[in-house]
Amino acid sequence: MQDSVVMMKVDDFLNWGRKNSLWPMTFGLACCAIEMMATGAAKYDLERFGCGAFMATPRRADLMIVAGTVTLKMATRIKTLFEQMPEPRYVISMGSCANKGGPYWQHGYHVLKGVDEVVPVDVYVPGCPPRPEALIEGIMTLQKKIANERILRDKWVKHA
Amino acid sequence: MHNQIASTLNSKVPGANAQALIATIGDSSVLVEAGKILDVCKILKSEGFNVLQVITGTDYADRIEVTYSLADFTSNREVLIKVKLSRGDGNGNNKETLPKLDSVSSLWRAAHFQERETYDMIGVNFIGNPDLRRILCPDDWTGYPLRKDYVVQEKYLDMVVNPAHKVNTEDHMFGKKLKEQIGDPKKVSASWKDSSGGNADEEAKDGE
Repeated sequence: MQDSVVMMKVDDFLNWGRKNSLWPMTFGLACCAIEMMATGAAKYDLERFGCGAFMATPRRADLMIVAGTVTLKMATRIKTLFEQMPEPRYVISMGSCANKGGPYWQHGYHVLKGVDEVVPVDVYVPGCPPRPEALIEGIMTLQKKIANERILRDKWVKHA
Repeated sequence: MHNQIASTLNSKVPGANAQALIATIGDSSVLVEAGKILDVCKILKSEGFNVLQVITGTDYADRIEVTYSLADFTSNREVLIKVKLSRGDGNGNNKETLPKLDSVSSLWRAAHFQERETYDMIGVNFIGNPDLRRILCPDDWTGYPLRKDYVVQEKYLDMVVNPAHKVNTEDHMFGKKLKEQIGDPKKVSASWKDSSGGNADEEAKDGE
């Protein structure tokens, strides 16, 4: 392989690198977090998709999996955490509560009706709580989304 | 047991006015005068009830009851001590308008957090609690959520609590509509109390 040359588009190269090293933040809010932990553990093994390295700080994370009920008290913290993450950053909303309030939709005086009220969400994973397979599908959907990004054109080339 | 505890309290705490509420269904309790709760707890602690299990509050729409669950593990006894309080005004954030009750945190350190929770959820001002702040709700929260007349706030900080595009407002009135359209409570599975006294399924009533 010495002196060999690989030719590919810069976009594809960057996307390939990004989508296969999505580092999520160690961050769970409720019972969905248990499923998220199961997904990260041996049986479902998130490391197969390159996103098993749960980072203990938002500053080293690419992906925020909002797993659980977002209370109004927590929502302000989530916003802060999201702002602390370096770009490119992605958000998966996991479970009914994070999607739209879940069982608290009617009388939940303390629950934010969907985490997309405070942070932009890339992928919604339905379920209460979603099984690990569902979360893996969500992550793979996000990987497909990342693979189709056009970073150079969208961000650095003006008037494209 | 409750009668015996009540008579002990009456003899040892003047003005405690303790009466045993013997329940046919559910748990019996001992009702005492609200102003004497600290003395009552002191006596009960010396009588063997040395474990404070929980302090909680209930809003009965016309009054607020605070319940103390005490346990005596050496002789395997439990007792519920209840006090009745006036509701006060729980709509603002003013502690002075809330019903007042003496804190028992000088007897049990565990009472500190329990009283903070009762203050947070029901709105009871515990006099003598070392640090009476909200414990579950954020510090800048308005109102006491477990009160019957609690009104859900429109906005918290800059977040809308019930955004119109997220909440299906038609479903809010589902039970009421059902009642108006169908009329006969026997025809639906989610029943309600019939005003004519025919069906008295209280648990399933779903009127808003």
